[in-house]
Amino acid sequence: MTLTACGGTGSTSNTPAPTPTPANVTVKVGNPSKPVTLMEDGSSLVLPYLQKMVDPIKADYANITLAPAAGGSGKGISDAISGAVQMGGSDAYLSDAQAAQNPDILNIPIAISAQSVDYNVPGVDSLKLSGDVLAKIYMGKITKWNDPAIAGLNSGATLPATAIVPVRRVESSGDTFIFTSLLNATNTDWQNGPGFGTTITWPAVPGEVTAQGNPGMVQVCKQTPGCIAYIGVSVRSTAQQAGLGEAMLQNKAGQFVKPDIANITAAVTAKASSIPTDLRASLIYADGAQSYPIVNYEYLVLKATQSDADTALAIRSFLTWAIDQKKGATDTNLQAVNFVALPQTVVPRVRAAIAKVSP
Amino acid sequence: MSRPAGGRGLPSAAPGPAVLSARGEEAVGDRALRYFCVAAAFVPIGLLLVLTLVMLTSAWPAIVYSGAKFVTGTVFTFGNLYGGTPTVHNGVSAPHNAQYGAAPLIVGTLLTSVIALAVAIPVSVGGVLMLVERIPHRFQAGLSIFLELLAGIPSVVYGLWGIIIFGPLLAHYVSPVLVRVLGFIPIFRGPVGSGQGLLVAGLILAVMVVPVIAATTRDLLRTVPILHKEGALALGMTRYETVKVVTIPFIRNGIFAAALLGWARALGETMAVLMVCGNALNIFPYNIYAPTITIAATIAAYLDGALTDATGMAVRALAEAGLLLLIITLLTNSLARVIVRRTSGAALPVGRGF
Amino acid sequence: MALRSWRSIQDLLFWALCALALCAIVGPAVWIIVGLLRDAGPLLNSRLLTHDTLHLGLQNAILGTLVLAFGVLVVAGPVGIGAGIYLAEFASGRVASFVRTFSEVLAGVPSIVVGYTGYVLLVVQFHWGYSIVAGILALVTIVTPYIVKTTEVALRQVPDNLREGAIALGLTMVATLRKVLLPPALPAIITGLVVALAISTGETAPLLYTAGFSDRNPVPALTHQPIGYLTYIAFTDIQLPDQSAHQLANAAADVTLVFLLVLIVVGRLLAIQSARRTARMNL
Repeated sequence: MTLTACGGTGSTSNTPAPTPTPANVTVKVGNPSKPVTLMEDGSSLVLPYLQKMVDPIKADYANITLAPAAGGSGKGISDAISGAVQMGGSDAYLSDAQAAQNPDILNIPIAISAQSVDYNVPGVDSLKLSGDVLAKIYMGKITKWNDPAIAGLNSGATLPATAIVPVRRVESSGDTFIFTSLLNATNTDWQNGPGFGTTITWPAVPGEVTAQGNPGMVQVCKQTPGCIAYIGVSVRSTAQQAGLGEAMLQNKAGQFVKPDIANITAAVTAKASSIPTDLRASLIYADGAQSYPIVNYEYLVLKATQSDADTALAIRSFLTWAIDQKKGATDTNLQAVNFVALPQTVVPRVRAAIAKVSP
Repeated sequence: MSRPAGGRGLPSAAPGPAVLSARGEEAVGDRALRYFCVAAAFVPIGLLLVLTLVMLTSAWPAIVYSGAKFVTGTVFTFGNLYGGTPTVHNGVSAPHNAQYGAAPLIVGTLLTSVIALAVAIPVSVGGVLMLVERIPHRFQAGLSIFLELLAGIPSVVYGLWGIIIFGPLLAHYVSPVLVRVLGFIPIFRGPVGSGQGLLVAGLILAVMVVPVIAATTRDLLRTVPILHKEGALALGMTRYETVKVVTIPFIRNGIFAAALLGWARALGETMAVLMVCGNALNIFPYNIYAPTITIAATIAAYLDGALTDATGMAVRALAEAGLLLLIITLLTNSLARVIVRRTSGAALPVGRGF
Repeated sequence: MALRSWRSIQDLLFWALCALALCAIVGPAVWIIVGLLRDAGPLLNSRLLTHDTLHLGLQNAILGTLVLAFGVLVVAGPVGIGAGIYLAEFASGRVASFVRTFSEVLAGVPSIVVGYTGYVLLVVQFHWGYSIVAGILALVTIVTPYIVKTTEVALRQVPDNLREGAIALGLTMVATLRKVLLPPALPAIITGLVVALAISTGETAPLLYTAGFSDRNPVPALTHQPIGYLTYIAFTDIQLPDQSAHQLANAAADVTLVFLLVLIVVGRLLAIQSARRTARMNL
């Protein structure tokens, strides 16, 4: 079992330090000797994905009962740290400070999600946007759809003079985290101002509206002409049915791409070699002509040292099973929430982390 | 030997019978009852003390950090939770650029609750009067059920209804009318907003507070002696005048008591308000349609994000906000009692029974 | 006669406004309820009772809500009524004022603060984990002030001449309460209990932080076992991408209301019984 430590402090900035891929690690899995309930709570984005795994994992390992719940990413992390649950679901990895405070906590990515920027502008079928323009919209500096900055990206398109209504999430959410991460990476005023996080202090923009949850964002955007909203891909079909347009976002290479599976995977692969050992990696604004700029890992946060061998075995077995494309990460499960499976470039590192769960 | 005092304005005391045995002792059952009731009465006190203590110990560093700026400052931000050098005030270290100024939250809390009660009290009392006095008996039971049913609708359902139906309705149809009719008053003027703001939040709160006041008022109305009402009618009073002179004074104290509870509920409501208030942390509402936020909604919205603050200051700031709300509840509660005592004049014998 | 017709107009106006107020109360209620029923649509069948929340049913949530409601009734009921009796019958002005203020301020604590305090104290510090007892205690904290208030108001509405009669007859306090004071006050006290239970059934935030959630039926363990409840589904499933999840959320809200309806009807029947006894007193 060879584990090569990566250079750096685990910081998640955009400086790629290519780390050698660890050899494929053997993880000890198996059915625990007594019934174990793996309680999970946290992100509501990863919840439906985990819910689909409850019955199949019971079929494969009779003594493992998965009990997923919601409650928010922050709660998931906090519960995993306090031990109220075995695993916390989170759309965001632990911050540097939190990771330093809790060195025993592992961040295990189990799937990949993405986010689209949707709009409700009648008559506009295709739209190109950049992170910089989005930051200005959400700061109130760009207020109309026919603003020169937007027109500049969309040469040839006729944009109406209607007011832009930015929609944002009212509660703490991983979607806010990844959206503001893009704004943070592409606009210096935003970086020095609101910054990024699951919860930020949004600049006051006249006419702005709030929504709760991704379906809420779709609903509010649907009933507000001129709106623009950041919406997780798990509700992509709902957004389409609601008649919302999906913008093409400009990536780091300057290309405009949509959150299709190929573009999402491209972003992950571009960042795969620089993923640190502790797996706390941002996939935002990745290099590569095809990479979609708003992509993130879905994490399960858990303690490396468990209270007993059976629980540790159950956790290792579940995690290995969950990232296996033939077991947990099947196409049916993934498509239900529009997630993408961990690419093979990343799986060995994840398995290396799973192997750390002991006794 | 115990003599419960009671003190409800009767010239002689002892409204509770102090029945003594031949040896001058209180009956065993009575003593047990008294102990139980005293113990029970101190449960709410104990619960509140526990809550306050936990909040205080959690909030202390945040109180030191912000000082008086918590109440006067207008910027509330957790700062950069993912990097940057910590900001230090008064020896307490918080995330980079963290500021906890809650003045807009205080204003939002008070304004939404005032709107809620200003609407809920007349609507509850008027609606229940209609229900009990005028609606034929066979329909009374059916309609009456709605009062308690309203109390049980989950607040998230109210919030969703507010966002999808009530808010847009208000923004498109009602608010423009308000602007035209009442536009001469500054707060009713100006942009009608998006359907998420002070007015919607206040009205949704009103809908949630109505059952608290209405259910109690309904039961109170049934205790008004028929003799009194018939006497008033015999004197030639219209039914309205009967209500004004006989019914309302009889139950006024009870309504006030229920209204105090409704006020507390309005101050502390989280989910429904959060979804329709517009979540504007750092601005004061410039008119009645403008976005705002309340202390309770802030805590509900930001608690999850606060849990990711490694310094713990974010949670502490929210705990401080919770303490502030407690103080506001206490102050407004006392204020309301003082006002009512001043304006109520001599207590009428009506309502004491004779 | 001008005065007479002005008074008639006043009368008419007043009752017209009251009618409007009644519509303002019943209108939103009907609107919301109809919306809930419509949006739950295809899921409103017996499957809700037989399957758990992972399989488009609500069995565990219904049982969980029942268990929590029972717990609240059993704990907050006696405490609230006892405290109300204390305030109405036993306490002197100062102490009563003190207790009353505390109770009212308690009603103003946001439910999420109660929930988070419960989490910090009971779930983490006392090591109870997500548990039934933590959930019940959180709900009791929220709900007790309502029971205290309605009990006190109900008892105070009973005229003092009845109390004087009881003293004259030499009744003990227990007997006075049982035979003289509680019967006329009972309808209002029951209403208070129903409203309190209604509020507790509609709460999500405090339970999220104390009871957690479980997709399986409640286990007879007071600690370390989370429990499911209907409002969690109403709150969480509405944020999930699936259409069937939204329907389940609405169905959960519908079942909550049905549960409330049963509660209200039972309460109403009990109140009618005691109202009959009071009528014999010729108040």
